[in-house]
Amino acid sequence: MIEILWFIFDIMLVLLLLALAWTTCSTQDVMRAVTLFIAMGLLLAVIWARLKAPDLALAEAVIGAGISGALLLSAIKDYPSNLMVSHRSPVMRGMINIFTIALTILMSWAVWHGIEMSDGKRLSEQVASQLSISGVSNPVTAVLLNFRAYDTLLELAVVLTAVLTVLILNEKRADHKVISPLLQGMTRWLVPLLVITSGYLLWVGAHAPGGAFQAGAMLAAAMILLQLAYPSIHQGFNLYLLRLLLVIGILIFVLVGLWMMLLNDDFLAYSPAWAGSLILIIETAATLSIATALTLAYLGGRPTGWENGLKKSASHKDSHTDNGRVK
Amino acid sequence: MSDAIIWVIMIPLLGSLISLTWSRYASFIAITSNMLALAASIIIVRQVYQSGPFIHQLGSWQTGLGISLRADALSSILLVMSMSVISAATFYASTYFTDAVKRARFWPLWLMLVVALNALLLSGDLFNLYVTLELLGLSAIALTALSDNRAALQAAIRYLSIGLLGSLVFLAGVALVYTGYGTLDLATLSNVVQASPLSQVAFGLMTAGLLIKSALFPLHFWLPSAHASAPAPVSAALSALVVKVAVYILLRLWIDVFDPVLTPFSAMLLGMLGAIAVIWGSWQALQAQRLKLMAAYSTVAQIGYLFIFLPLIVALPDGPLKDAAYTALLLMALTHGFAKSAFFLSAGVIQQYCGHDRIAELGGTARALPLTIFVIALSGVALIGLPPSGSFLGKWHLISSSLHAGQWWWVPVIAAGSILATAYVFRILGHAFAPGEGVDQVLKWGREEIPALILALLATLILGFGSAGLWDFVSQHNGFPGG
Repeated sequence: MIEILWFIFDIMLVLLLLALAWTTCSTQDVMRAVTLFIAMGLLLAVIWARLKAPDLALAEAVIGAGISGALLLSAIKDYPSNLMVSHRSPVMRGMINIFTIALTILMSWAVWHGIEMSDGKRLSEQVASQLSISGVSNPVTAVLLNFRAYDTLLELAVVLTAVLTVLILNEKRADHKVISPLLQGMTRWLVPLLVITSGYLLWVGAHAPGGAFQAGAMLAAAMILLQLAYPSIHQGFNLYLLRLLLVIGILIFVLVGLWMMLLNDDFLAYSPAWAGSLILIIETAATLSIATALTLAYLGGRPTGWENGLKKSASHKDSHTDNGRVK
Repeated sequence: MSDAIIWVIMIPLLGSLISLTWSRYASFIAITSNMLALAASIIIVRQVYQSGPFIHQLGSWQTGLGISLRADALSSILLVMSMSVISAATFYASTYFTDAVKRARFWPLWLMLVVALNALLLSGDLFNLYVTLELLGLSAIALTALSDNRAALQAAIRYLSIGLLGSLVFLAGVALVYTGYGTLDLATLSNVVQASPLSQVAFGLMTAGLLIKSALFPLHFWLPSAHASAPAPVSAALSALVVKVAVYILLRLWIDVFDPVLTPFSAMLLGMLGAIAVIWGSWQALQAQRLKLMAAYSTVAQIGYLFIFLPLIVALPDGPLKDAAYTALLLMALTHGFAKSAFFLSAGVIQQYCGHDRIAELGGTARALPLTIFVIALSGVALIGLPPSGSFLGKWHLISSSLHAGQWWWVPVIAAGSILATAYVFRILGHAFAPGEGVDQVLKWGREEIPALILALLATLILGFGSAGLWDFVSQHNGFPGG
């Protein structure tokens, strides 16, 4: 009986997801599209949980729905309220729809064949057999921070590059003028809780769902809330420290990798006895960097004074502007 | 000493981080880390030359569970080419950006681009290739947006959306491969992949993603605006390297991994698109009003040549003929890499001294900037495929391979492309040698002209006379070890 109920629940989840995806794509109002997208992220998190992938569920809820939602909402603030999603003609939109549907059918057909081809285990047996010497007992963390740690390192570089792009394009957005005392009151309660949860997620990642990306996103959420409730809070923050926080995740990761290459010949080849501690050190640094990156991305550009030191030191020798020496 | 394969990726990465935190010394840090990475790339190619292809098993995990970095003839030669172009562009960039703020924004992203290029060329893992593609695309877009005018921003946004589409389509293919075969390691895959609905769809998706990234006609529409509006050193890297490494992955997948899946028809289709790209790109280059736009369209054409090789390599039987075609493709890619980057750096010099790069108003530049116009002429020689440039040999082998494979219809395309290239190169030279008052001061040996000169000499003289050893090297040391 309970199984039938679960089955009905799952079917409803899938139908709801499809409906949400369709309306997100087809709506013409940007605000509506973003709201629906956030709702879709939350629904997706529930579906991942139902598929017994709690790590993904957590990541989707915190990053997919939470931080992405905040980024999208803060981005559309810059545009006129009557902004339309698309200026494309109905013919063009029809063609895109047909293309997307065809691609979906093609991929479903291929996946169907792929499930028959494979024994369904793929790399999971290898992961399970090596888990005991990986330093952690959560297989997802073992893959992300040990077996395929190099991918994660490059992913951190992708995050950093994305933030650097934001920083070169714009100054920080203007602060809110009106702040509700309700928000301030709530923030006082919420921020400590978020910080603790972030630390918990980081710590627990070694043996249960969690890890640096989720913890970093959670910490960023706390920072964003603080920024919303107390817009002047970032003033006076040491910008050099901020730069250091931005790079420390990758820096520690690379240094640990090179150190291990010195000891064990291969890059990122942790000595099994230390693997657990090394992973925790890397993840802690990565959490700080991810949180800093996401917060900066939310601010939408350079904090005030980000490039100050340069302008002072440059002014005496560089009198030229941009592309320089025009005659 | 397979450690060089790590250093060549980690040195620019550390350089990027340090140049971000110590902005004031960013130029010094960037130049130093590029020199070190160039040295590491030379060590890698030397090692492949002496003892054959090699692997670095990251984390010491067995193949499949961990990720492996691999170097063979193709990847190590492209790596050295890429690091040479990057080094020359780095020296040029240190004089190009006169504004300290802009320089501080440029270096960390530039070094990230180097990380992505090197990591991509050395990767032996399908998902890792996707990550490097993401890093490459994102840093390329950020660097395009660095020349902050409206046109550059629009080009960057278009580049971003089309680039993301390409990566996602590629990722979908990767996911399918893992679903079916349970591994992402390229060497392992090359032993197990067979023709099946899944492998065909996956292969098609990955190819489609890479075609977008490599800007094959008709998916080239994003390229000219992006390459023409980026800052000159960035344009050099975009045209010479960023587009080309996508072709590298494509070649890897087509020739080494998915050869049971691919059909002569699909190779012929890409060859046809390549042929159209040669004609269309050259024709557009001839019409272009601006120097950098002309160079960008010329890239569309030159990428087309690389794709004409595909049906030939597929059709030719294993052996010396196939190896010759494969090496000629590499030689064409190398020559274009050096020549096009030299061209873009020279275009940057002209833009700096004339304040514009409109072809019709180049009059007088040959007198004022003799060395730069000489470099443009040299790289023009390589773009046309005149002896002694590397592309002369490349085209020679392309024609002889077409005849060996019984596909004579590529020959008129190559001839027409070369004639059009001659036309667009001489059109520039004609304007440059015409009298005019475009530039006031005369520059004999500017520091900013040297990097382009070295690149152009590499493309014409060094590759033309020194490429004989390439054939032996590639036929002996290509392919992945330990499959």
